[in-house]
Amino acid sequence: MDHSFSKKGIKIIGVIFVLYAVLVASHKGEFWPFSIYPMFSQAGNPWTRAMVLDVTDLPDDQIWETHSLYNRFAEPVPLKEHGIDQIDFSNFISKTENWTPERREALRYMFGQNRLGSERWMASKVRGQLVQEDSVIVEIKPFLLVTADTVRMNPSLDKSEYFNGEE
Amino acid sequence: MRWYEKIGDQLFEPNRSVTPGELIFFKFFELFILLYTIYYSWSWGLYTKLHNSEVVLSLGLANYFDVSYLFNHNIPLFIAFLTSILGIVCFFRKGPKWLYAVVFFLLHLQYVIRYSQGEIPHSQNMIGLSVFCLAVGSIFFSDKQKMPRFVLGAIIFFVGLGYTSAFFSKLIGTGFNWFDGRHLWLWISEKSVDILSREGSFQLNFLQQLALSSTLISSVILLFGWLTELIGFTVWWKKIRPYSMSLLILMHFGITLSMNIRFDAFVLELILIGFPWYKLIDRSVSSTPTWIQKMV
Repeated sequence: MDHSFSKKGIKIIGVIFVLYAVLVASHKGEFWPFSIYPMFSQAGNPWTRAMVLDVTDLPDDQIWETHSLYNRFAEPVPLKEHGIDQIDFSNFISKTENWTPERREALRYMFGQNRLGSERWMASKVRGQLVQEDSVIVEIKPFLLVTADTVRMNPSLDKSEYFNGEE
Repeated sequence: MRWYEKIGDQLFEPNRSVTPGELIFFKFFELFILLYTIYYSWSWGLYTKLHNSEVVLSLGLANYFDVSYLFNHNIPLFIAFLTSILGIVCFFRKGPKWLYAVVFFLLHLQYVIRYSQGEIPHSQNMIGLSVFCLAVGSIFFSDKQKMPRFVLGAIIFFVGLGYTSAFFSKLIGTGFNWFDGRHLWLWISEKSVDILSREGSFQLNFLQQLALSSTLISSVILLFGWLTELIGFTVWWKKIRPYSMSLLILMHFGITLSMNIRFDAFVLELILIGFPWYKLIDRSVSSTPTWIQKMV
C-alpha cells in the first residue's frame, strides 16, 4: 500500500461527508444512519413523555383528573411485558397532532388486538419541568382511555389538545 | 502533503503492512456487523408486523413515499429474510461488489418502516454506518489488502465526526450553560418516567442519587460528557485513539448509569474499532488461514 491509497480513501470520505451534510441539512438533522446527533441539545426545556395507567377498577369520575406522578391514582402498565416499545409509545402520544379516528385506532393496534379484554388502559401524557430554580415537578394528564373496542378522549380537555386545526 | 492527506494517513496507515492478525480481526469485525444486521432486521420486521399501522414520523426515504404500504403482507419479514441472505452472501464474498450496497438499502428501508412511529433512536446508527462503509469499501476497494483498512478508517472518521458534531449541536441548541446540573435533573426525571412506564417500577441508582444531591456534582458529570464529545474527532489520530476511545466508552457508561440509556451495539463496536486488537492476534498467528483469505 502507498500514499495513493490513503489519498483516494480520504477523497472518498470527503465525497461521503458532503453527501452526509446535504442529507442531514435537508432532513432536520437525520437521514439514517447519518445524524448530527441532536439528542439532549436543547437543555432545560419542559419535557413530555407518556405512560399507561391501569384504571380498570376506578370509577369514571376519577380517571380523567390531572395529578402528580408521586400521587398517581393507578399503577403503570409495564409496557415491556406487552412487547411494546416504551419510547415508541411515548413519541406516538406526544408527536401526534391530530387524533383522527384512524390514529386512535392505531394506538389500540399498538397495544395489540384482543389484548385488553375487560381491562381499561389510560394512555396519559406526563410532563416535567423545572420550578423555583431548584426542583422538578412531574404531572400526569390522562389523555386517551383505551378499551377492547373503543378509544375515548378526555372530556375535561379542550379539543385543541387533540386537533391542531390542520388536516 | 495537505492537511486532509495527513488525516488520511492516520486513518488508513498506508505505510503499515497488512498482517494476518489484521485480516482475522477484520473478518471477526465483519461477522459482528453481519450478526447485528440480521438481528436488527428481524426484530424491526417483527415489531412492524405486530405494532405498526400508521406513519407518525417519516425518516430517511420515508419522506418520499408512504411506507405504511409496507406494513402488511409480511413485507417487513420478507425484507428481513432478504437482508439476512444477501448479508451472508456478502460475508462470504460470493456476490458482486455492489451487493453490500443492496444490503444497506434494505436495512435503511427496514429502519424507516420500523421507526415510523415517532422514536428516533441512535443506538443502531453505528451498525448502519458500518454497513454503509462496507458497501463503499467493496465498491471502491475490492482489493483484499485495502478494503479492511478503508472500512475501519472510514468508520473511525465518521464516529469522531459524530461525537464532535454532537458537542456543537448542544452548544448551538442551548449555549455555554448546557452543562448546568439542573438540566441533568430534568433528564433523570424524564428517563425515570420512561423506565417506570416500561418496567412498572423505578429506583434511583447511586449515581443518580449523587447527581440529584448537588448541582455542582451534576454539572461536573455533564461537563465531563460534553468535553469528551468535543474531543471525539481526536480518534482520527492513531496514537491518541485508544485514549480518546476509552473516554468515549466511559462517557457511554456514565450515560447508561445517569439516564438509563443503553448503547450495547454502539459501545461494543467502539471497543472493537478503538484499539489495535490485531497486534494481540499477531502474537499467536504467523500466517492468514486460507479460509480467511478467501473471505476477505
